[in-house]
Amino acid sequence: MALAAKELPQEDALVRMQRDLKRALQKKPQDIKWGMVIDIAKCIGCHACTIGCVAENKLPPGVVYRVVLEEETGHYPQVRRRFVPRPCLHCQNPPCTKACPVTATWKTEQGVVIVDYNRCIGCRYCLVACPYSARTSDFAEWYTDQTPDLAGKLVGRKAAANGYEAHPAAEYGKKWPERDHDSPVGNARKCHFCLHRLKVGMLPACTTTCIGRATIFGDRSDPQSLVSEMIGSPRVFRLKEELGTLPSVYYLK
Amino acid sequence: MLNARHFRYIIILAVCGLIIGTWGMGARLLYGHKYMDYGSFVPWGLWVAFDLFFLGLTAGAYIVTILVYGFRVKLFAALGPLSVFALLVTLLCEGIIISLDLGHPLRIYRFFLSPNFGSMLFWLVAFIVAMWAIYLWTFFLLLREQLTVWSQDEGKPGHKIYRLLAGGRTTYTDADRVRDHRRVRILSYISMPVGLLFFGMHGAVFAILLNRPLWNGAMTPFLFIMAALLSGGALITFLTYLFHPRDELVQPLGKVVLGLLATFLFLEALQFFVGYQSKVPNFVTSLNLIAFGPFWWAFWILHLFIGSAIPMYILITKPHDTRAVAWACFLVLITFFAVRLNYLIPDLAVYKLEGLQNTFFSHRLRTDYVPNINEWLVSIWVLSLGILTFFLGMRWLPVEAAGIEEEEHV
Repeated sequence: MALAAKELPQEDALVRMQRDLKRALQKKPQDIKWGMVIDIAKCIGCHACTIGCVAENKLPPGVVYRVVLEEETGHYPQVRRRFVPRPCLHCQNPPCTKACPVTATWKTEQGVVIVDYNRCIGCRYCLVACPYSARTSDFAEWYTDQTPDLAGKLVGRKAAANGYEAHPAAEYGKKWPERDHDSPVGNARKCHFCLHRLKVGMLPACTTTCIGRATIFGDRSDPQSLVSEMIGSPRVFRLKEELGTLPSVYYLK
Repeated sequence: MLNARHFRYIIILAVCGLIIGTWGMGARLLYGHKYMDYGSFVPWGLWVAFDLFFLGLTAGAYIVTILVYGFRVKLFAALGPLSVFALLVTLLCEGIIISLDLGHPLRIYRFFLSPNFGSMLFWLVAFIVAMWAIYLWTFFLLLREQLTVWSQDEGKPGHKIYRLLAGGRTTYTDADRVRDHRRVRILSYISMPVGLLFFGMHGAVFAILLNRPLWNGAMTPFLFIMAALLSGGALITFLTYLFHPRDELVQPLGKVVLGLLATFLFLEALQFFVGYQSKVPNFVTSLNLIAFGPFWWAFWILHLFIGSAIPMYILITKPHDTRAVAWACFLVLITFFAVRLNYLIPDLAVYKLEGLQNTFFSHRLRTDYVPNINEWLVSIWVLSLGILTFFLGMRWLPVEAAGIEEEEHV
């Protein structure tokens, strides 16, 4: 009984990550190296991170920053499933930034690969170059495309769109114009580790929505952070390591 | 051989193509990429395949101009101005179709404002611009004499426009001719490395991608150069037959095309051999998609049978039949688009991560790409514009006249 009581009160990983984040934000920006660890043994494939990301960034149809890969192995009755969430891996040696002909995408000093929507010409070469298919293009689709038009401010396509998707999210901490033909429509889009949230001391949406605490985020250059601790695990691996892209997103087997 | 009736039919066909294609152009210009079928997993589709096709077609003209003006091969001298014009028109088509493929075509100035010197695509665009500059200047120099002559003919419709095109010049002396041809020769020397890099860079855009096993490798730029020479050579041979139907011109070109065709097929076979022997799953899947996928007929019937076996048979058995040689090259030319499309799509059509197909359901996140009607209509529009520009240009510009007695000046 005494042993169980001792083990029960554990600090939630989110609380620790929040503390790590607060500490990181006190450092000089160039000293921070954001990183993520995803424990696939803890991922239950609920897709909450995908939905959280879509909602946070108001992603239109066909644009997705974080998917959860579902792998099925073995043969009946020895069948196993595992789930591998795949955000942008924010490679330290990113092939996508080298491909961009107009330097519209680059790796920040904090190790986050970002896109300048106002510079991107929409050639989609970065989509072709990404080995993880982590970039998607915005083809100007709306969830309300099939909603019938009706006059009035409460019902109909325009009213429905105005209530949500017509107003883009504050990605990269900027106020984007109402969704039309201009950026980010026609651009390459990708996960940016919710930089706009980090800026105000909030963890990325995928991290806070992960009900199994399978996603750990933080400053990987801080040896005290949970993310650094996890990166040191013997279970750690990275996707397609043979390509030499050196992702900042690690996985635990 | 092109007569007035053929010319009329071609113009009517091109105008019809422009009218029909307007629907697709409207969809593209009004709604962007919304009504096109490529997505994020197959981000490049029909228009990029046409872009590759058009870029490749310029190679024939490139070789002819180098032979004529660089190495002074008098045999092909009459084809000089025609080749340069064909190159410019194909570059025009390429420029239009790839601009339409961009999400933000109006930001094209970004290539100059914020260039990424490490990007192959930047260098491809830089070499395209260089080719434009070289060949537009070459074209002007080659036509200047005839433009001056036409501008002085008061009875000729539009003679004032010709004067404008001739840069206001009213006389053209022998010394001018010598000077202009010397400049053309210098431009031709410059075009040699620029052109080679241009065609090589074309392949390098694909070759450097480590995650694309079908494309990745040092052979890809070479394959692209050979593909460009083959399709471009076939185009020039066919155009020569239409505008200069002389046996001594068409037949040697036919032999060159035969050699290029054999080399290209050998390289293609080599790629299949290496791919299948490597047993890299993604590579094998891509090759299987080319040979046995839903578009197997494009590879076996269009490319290998109609575009290779039949032309090869004709070029081997009837090398002295000018008409047969020209039509064999025409077959190579029109089926070569299938080669481009079948090279581009299969690597994109393989999921790069296991399980990706089951993650997020959207038609933009699928690999089963089939060009839709809007994409075809836009392509028809651009192709028709190219045909119209070329044939009207041949009539309204002194391209043919500039080729007459050109062998005396090179």
